[in-house]
Amino acid sequence: MEYLFTIWVVVTLNFLLPRAMPGDPFLYLSAEEGQEVTGFSEEQRQYYLEYYGLDRPVAGQYLSYLSDLLRGNLGYSLYYNEPVSTIILRRLPWTTFLVIAAVLLSTVFGTILGSISAWYREKWPDKFLFFCLILLSEVPAFLLGLVLLFTFAAGLGLFPLSGAITHFANYSSWWEKLLDILHHAFLPVMALTIARLGGMYLLSRNSMTTVLEKDYLRTAWAKGLPQKRIIFRHALRNAMLPIVTRVFLSLGSLVGGAILVENVFAYPGLGHLMREAVMVHDYPLVQGIFLVVTICVLLANFLADLVYRKLDPRIGDYSGIHGG
Amino acid sequence: MPRKCFLIVLMLVISLSLLLFGCGTDQARDDQKPGVAKGGEQRQVDIIRLAGGDWGYPTPYAVYPRGPGSFKMRLIFDGLLERDEKGLIPWLAEKYEIKEGGKQYLFTVRNGVKWQDGKPLTAEDVKFTFEYATKYPMVGVTLDKKDIQKIEIVGDRQVRITVTEPNAAMLYKLGMVPIIPKHIWENVDNPKEFTKPEAVIGTGPYRLTEYSKEHGTYRFEAFDGFWGPKQRVKVIEFVPVSEEVLAFEKGEIDLAGITPDVLPRFQKDPQYKIVKSPAFWGYRLLFNMKDYPILQHKELRQAIAYAIDAQELIDKVARGAAVPGSAGILPPDHVMYNPGVKQYKPDLQKAGELLAKLGYDKLDENGIRQNQKGEKLSFNLLVSSGEVRLAEVLKEQLARAGIEIKVQSVDMKTRDARVREYKYQLAVTGHGGWGNDADYLRQRFASYSKESGLMASAPGTPGYRNEELNALLDKQRREFNEQKRKELIFKIQEVLAEDVPELPLYYTTGYTVYRPAKYDGWMFMFDHHSLTHSKLSYLERG
Repeated sequence: MEYLFTIWVVVTLNFLLPRAMPGDPFLYLSAEEGQEVTGFSEEQRQYYLEYYGLDRPVAGQYLSYLSDLLRGNLGYSLYYNEPVSTIILRRLPWTTFLVIAAVLLSTVFGTILGSISAWYREKWPDKFLFFCLILLSEVPAFLLGLVLLFTFAAGLGLFPLSGAITHFANYSSWWEKLLDILHHAFLPVMALTIARLGGMYLLSRNSMTTVLEKDYLRTAWAKGLPQKRIIFRHALRNAMLPIVTRVFLSLGSLVGGAILVENVFAYPGLGHLMREAVMVHDYPLVQGIFLVVTICVLLANFLADLVYRKLDPRIGDYSGIHGG
Repeated sequence: MPRKCFLIVLMLVISLSLLLFGCGTDQARDDQKPGVAKGGEQRQVDIIRLAGGDWGYPTPYAVYPRGPGSFKMRLIFDGLLERDEKGLIPWLAEKYEIKEGGKQYLFTVRNGVKWQDGKPLTAEDVKFTFEYATKYPMVGVTLDKKDIQKIEIVGDRQVRITVTEPNAAMLYKLGMVPIIPKHIWENVDNPKEFTKPEAVIGTGPYRLTEYSKEHGTYRFEAFDGFWGPKQRVKVIEFVPVSEEVLAFEKGEIDLAGITPDVLPRFQKDPQYKIVKSPAFWGYRLLFNMKDYPILQHKELRQAIAYAIDAQELIDKVARGAAVPGSAGILPPDHVMYNPGVKQYKPDLQKAGELLAKLGYDKLDENGIRQNQKGEKLSFNLLVSSGEVRLAEVLKEQLARAGIEIKVQSVDMKTRDARVREYKYQLAVTGHGGWGNDADYLRQRFASYSKESGLMASAPGTPGYRNEELNALLDKQRREFNEQKRKELIFKIQEVLAEDVPELPLYYTTGYTVYRPAKYDGWMFMFDHHSLTHSKLSYLERG
């Protein structure tokens, strides 16, 4: 129930904020350096304002916005000349792909490395990993992206310089297309993964350390169970809780990092779109994007709640020893 | 458990190796053949790739107002006239006449021109286009209902357009309107949303074969039935690039814009050719004379002009890639530029004298000038976030003359809105189009002007009025003799340079690099700064 209320508040803010910015979508007095802009004459500007219903009173616009939204109509982009839902739906998969791949890879690798570190705590493998990963985690994602771009794409020529696919290519099979997409996605995903690796590593390292000190682990050790089994079956399973929660909660912020990386690699995701939409005051598009992102974050929160409940029997509905 | 872990690792290793294998299956690119030598040296080339980006579906209505979308549209659509290096040339109109002192334009439409769907171009299409364009404004075409009185078809191939007011700049406006097919657009009442394949049928040299919004790609193929000069490029592909210079070096694109610091990389190598673009994009300093009477004093504006060192601005902000502003407004590359106008070479002494004349002869403890009443010379300078560096240097320069500047930086649209509403004292704005017909001087500076031309803050420049200038501006509009008109415009620049109602700071120039061995047909239109935007760049020259 609180979620619905939150959504309503967000929708209203989404509507009001872009309109609070001075200037309207059809006022073109200047351009970015070197850019061509064809201005509109005063008459043309009035014509467009009327055409898009922007000259109606704000309350009227708000009500039609709400009624459209309830019917699933996100509006029509003033700048891109397309329905907002079409624009977003076409780009969302690319951003989602990058984000999910990066989350999976960074979680898996981060957890493995963190576990190793926790096991060898204070000995040289731990110190070495700690040092490297702290260093890496401070580097922003887009900078990593640039370094990867220059080294592997431009320098060594192993990967394409930009884009999500080879343009205008004809594929003889879906397998070829998939390989092409993966080939293009490798560097952006790497950049995002490495950027998040540090955080995941630290978290799992701490979590593992806490769990490793627990009594039930001493018991396992005393029982003479093999090392691997202790780490993975007993310790890790319990240490996973905060990691999993963190994964879901950080999905929202990951989109931010993805935006910068998309810009570096000219990847067709939401990132570039958001910047453009805000800059040209394309109200319907800005509203649409922020709405989608907010819903995703809320959804992630919701899922985090559910998953956590399932994973941790102490707060779950059912009792009984789970695992361990 | 260890087995599970092992499986995960194995999967990752497999995917990694697949990716690396993926490198090997790179699509064999359509590499250009050296080209068949035609009679002369105009070689043909199979494919040219240029930096892309999504600038809209290339119809006259669906392109975005920002960016080079309209030039892609012009590959598909033709106007009655076209631009070459010197001026306007006949295009869809094989000839034209201007009659009745500029009130009538008689265009003779070329015979035998076909639309890309095979149907013939007729005078009906031309008439329809103008009527449609005044009903539904086309992006980038500032033709209005009130500009045109009537359009008639004369005989079977001629179109006579009667305009309401004679204006020497009207020929350009009329000639540049992209002609659209009546049989396709006559039933369209929502041209902005008309994005079906028929919407991109024109008479121009190229057909659109592919377009992707989210990838920002366009693909054009030469139209076999094109009426005009033969296309030298068979296929033009626009692909997005992350970094233009990198993509150019790797051969992913065939032309790139470069900054001066990268020049040395290409200068020494004979396989590259570097071209400097004409400076048609510039920054100007606006004075809000409407709300601040102090700015109405010409001496103050002149003093500011003397205090500003454009070359220092260029060196510090534009990395040397710009041309100092001319107080006569028109840039040096403009066809009507007057090289003899008054120049305001940096001269702090002159600035000081002018300010002292106005009564600002004392300096306060911070070095800011003040008058007897203790009023200081202090102004707010409104800029957008992109011009902050420029503003800071200006602040330093004006401080040397005893003028204090407080910099206010906002986002671009906010700055535009405030400029439009006069909520500023001084402002800097930057835009292109400085190469356009000199008539924009009238729109901007004639106090009676009701048109806001070329990114003007508003029609005319409120607070500024010069009767001599008004008369000259009105006269040049009605002067159809090239030479006489040029003389008038020369005089206008002299008056403007004396009055300084606004001050152009500098016009940016740029460098473009390409490989002449691959393709060398690039040219500049007389009023534009980009090689790839000219239609004639892709066609054989006669």
